[in-house]
Amino acid sequence: MSLTLPPFANEPVLELRRATERAKLAVGLGELVLPIRVPVSIGRDRRAGEELVSTDPGRPERIVALAARATPEDAGAAVAAACDAFPSWAATPVDDRAAALLRAADWMRERRAALAALAVRECAKPWAEADADVCEAIDFLEFYARGALQLAAGAPLLQVAGERNELHYAPRGVCAVIAPWNFPLAIPTGMTAAALATGNTVVLKPAEQAPGCGLRVVEALRAGGVPAGAIALLPGEGDAGAALARHPDVATIAFTGSGPVGLELLRTAADVAPGARQLTRVVAEMGGKNCIIVDSDADLDETIPAIVESAFGYAGQKCSAAARVLVHEALHDTLVERLAGAVEGLEVGPADAFDTDVPPVIEQAAQQRVQRYTAMAAEWGQLAVSRAQDVPAEGWYVAPVLATHLPPDSPVLRDEIFGPLLTVEAVRDVDEACDRVDELSVALTGGLFSRNPRTVRRVIARSPVGNLYVNRSTTGAMVGRQPFGGNRLSGTGTKAGGHDYLLHFVEPRVVTENTVRHGLVV
Amino acid sequence: MDATAVETEIQRVGQALADAFPSKRGHPLKAIDDRAMDAAARDAELRAALFRFVDVVPACRSLDDLAAHLAGFLENVHTQPPPLRAAMRMSDTKAGRKALGAAGAAGVRHMAHRFIVGEDPAAALPTLERLWREGIAASVDLLGEATVTAAEADRYGARCAEALDTLADAYADMEERPLLEADALGALPRANLSVKVSALTPLLRPEAPARGQRDAAPRLRELLRRAARLGAHLHIDMESLDSREAILELVLDLLSQPEFASGPSAGVVLQAYLRDSPQTLDTILDWARSSERRHPLVVRLVKGAYWDHEVVEARQHGWNVPVFERKAACDANFEELTTRLLEAQPLVRVAIASHNLRSVSHAVARNRLLGGRDDDIEYQVLRGLGDDLGHALAANGLRVRAYCPVGDLVAGMAYLVRRLLENTANESFLHDQAAGVPLAQLLAAPGTET
Repeated sequence: MSLTLPPFANEPVLELRRATERAKLAVGLGELVLPIRVPVSIGRDRRAGEELVSTDPGRPERIVALAARATPEDAGAAVAAACDAFPSWAATPVDDRAAALLRAADWMRERRAALAALAVRECAKPWAEADADVCEAIDFLEFYARGALQLAAGAPLLQVAGERNELHYAPRGVCAVIAPWNFPLAIPTGMTAAALATGNTVVLKPAEQAPGCGLRVVEALRAGGVPAGAIALLPGEGDAGAALARHPDVATIAFTGSGPVGLELLRTAADVAPGARQLTRVVAEMGGKNCIIVDSDADLDETIPAIVESAFGYAGQKCSAAARVLVHEALHDTLVERLAGAVEGLEVGPADAFDTDVPPVIEQAAQQRVQRYTAMAAEWGQLAVSRAQDVPAEGWYVAPVLATHLPPDSPVLRDEIFGPLLTVEAVRDVDEACDRVDELSVALTGGLFSRNPRTVRRVIARSPVGNLYVNRSTTGAMVGRQPFGGNRLSGTGTKAGGHDYLLHFVEPRVVTENTVRHGLVV
Repeated sequence: MDATAVETEIQRVGQALADAFPSKRGHPLKAIDDRAMDAAARDAELRAALFRFVDVVPACRSLDDLAAHLAGFLENVHTQPPPLRAAMRMSDTKAGRKALGAAGAAGVRHMAHRFIVGEDPAAALPTLERLWREGIAASVDLLGEATVTAAEADRYGARCAEALDTLADAYADMEERPLLEADALGALPRANLSVKVSALTPLLRPEAPARGQRDAAPRLRELLRRAARLGAHLHIDMESLDSREAILELVLDLLSQPEFASGPSAGVVLQAYLRDSPQTLDTILDWARSSERRHPLVVRLVKGAYWDHEVVEARQHGWNVPVFERKAACDANFEELTTRLLEAQPLVRVAIASHNLRSVSHAVARNRLLGGRDDDIEYQVLRGLGDDLGHALAANGLRVRAYCPVGDLVAGMAYLVRRLLENTANESFLHDQAAGVPLAQLLAAPGTET
């Protein structure tokens, strides 16, 4: 290994409290030329098209990207091309693969404002979140490049006289990356970079809502020196993803998205296709129903802003977002009153306005879903905040909702709503709160507000979630600092941005060589 | 200016102030009368345990609950002095917990009363009157929980309005104190209230300063109007860097409006620990040059109270740390800003708010050598920490104002914890003074201490 790198450090987000930094982003938006044309891109072939259209969720008549819509046949062609490219990319020295990822990171760094502006337009990510998404994409490239270099050293084994034992990690083959729209740059970049760094080739299917961002990810990697054959872009919808998943030559599926789709992928992968020569491995990150526990000794001055950020940041459309607050009964009324006041003050508006707290949700179906659950909460419980009229008429806006007094079996307390709807329940004590968390089949993130170290330890011991946050918001995991991923039905227990993530993209191979010749160790 | 002359004068002033300290122990922390504080300054784990306890006291629901928290914090302290081991044993029984909880709560209340002058302005009046008799003016600060709702912002605004009334009324009856009531530029209001913009709006957002400004402006405007009507001074505190742009722009913008041309007297804060504080002073002075207000803006120069917050936030985000990380650099900047402010008079009125004997002596000396009068400058101290320095300054014929927080224990805890943390820091001037560092060293120019 000859490539030596400084230790990983997170790409700093812009210091948006300074006017000069905010101005940079405005320039990025001004220079953004829309619509972006996104082809199906397999090797050197590009097929243009306009069948798949992404629009600005805040102004649906504004077209952000015009994409070709990949067919199942395209998926087959992409996998075939990725198979062809695999031997050469796998044989490329890890230093060179890592260097390509680092150049891709540089490419993104040079275009931070432009990339953030695209996420603002295509996915209605407010500025600070859009900027953080670009930074996280850069972080994944830097982090997995370093991880691949470390992994290339293999793992130490016991050595005994007369034999030489070696363990090394080999890439698995073609990886299908099926990405979500809510971190439209970071998550596709992360899953793709992990696969590429370890020598796999990739077919990337970005979310149908975010083909423009998907194109930028592929451009960054190719500009960094990843061969065109090693990374294909397949803008498309569910049928393209399904075709990828059942393709016998796909060795790994890296998926982040909804629970039902993830479970379907797991089922498909488990069914070994005729002609398959490999078991398909699935790395899946799915949904949650994330709870924040508030004990009676919590400092509400800190707790309330953290809950608001966790539940309503990006309109609640992060897998890590808080959906339920379980509060000690002694604090319930005070918390609801103050939280309701805080929610009433939230500004619902377009993602490109720095004033906005709650941007529109991604699409009309999401808007209708949130409205449906809001109606359900109003019918079966109480709305502590109700300002449905108070949102822009155009665009997929929904008012933030705070609901209380729901019956325990209410779907509002069970289903992942993925929108700005937060519920509050009173509990007798922290143990009852832990019981309610334990009843759930999902376990992604959780929060705890308590100032008693013993309570904190007790909750840690009982908490099933993948990421537990104590006395802070439950969103904003950082690469290398908070490796991210859920347990139970929330995911395969894999941790994006963690040290063992790359192991899911390789297969270990052990070689034992007999070094004895004619009774002599040679 | 001849540097040697300045240093000579600083030594002279500093010696005179030291001689005038009422208590020869000269140790404000001793005044807290709590050996725990000494121990806390030495042991980081103990310090963390005590502050976490102080922080949680108001949220505890019973003595039992208090004791459980105290024991929970103390078990994380590895080297437990004998009194702590005794406390841990007490927490094993219900009766013991009750006693431990009561003792802990009493200790915290005792500390709080050193820093917080009363539950509300009316309750604070006896203390304010006594200070005035002793030749010390006050600025009252209303402590409160964080403002997260519009209703809370309204309530804080109403409390401030009521405080202005109470203070104006009470100070009207007090005897004359010429030094506290006028300087070369004219009359100085007796009643003086410090307010926080973060309490006047729940909408201060670092990346959207205009939003908090829009929301806070009506409430702040009402307070300015009332202060003008009552002839009181309104001082707008500065908080963390996250809100600096919002606060400074808002205040200067409101004060520029014609309705405030003739009043009230108002002030802002300049934080010397910020590396870019010289540019902030440029902004303030540019504004003052173009302002046609009758009352010169009062600029209170402070070191800054959010040092840890600023460092942590910058490190977590990978930003350049916006504050000086070396005490000497911060102290040197404080002196440079002092000099610039003094040279800018009469464009602004200067208030030097520091417990650092060197910084204060420097301001006195520099002003004298610039040909100023001693009463050109107001010196400000914090109630509970700067009491001895305040009396020493007053005894030397200098104008002193004590910053007096008012509020209940729940509201005051964040303030109390900040003050305690600030003053048990190893780099704190008070810590040095308490440790018996010789006067010559305390008065040495920043960066030249041995």
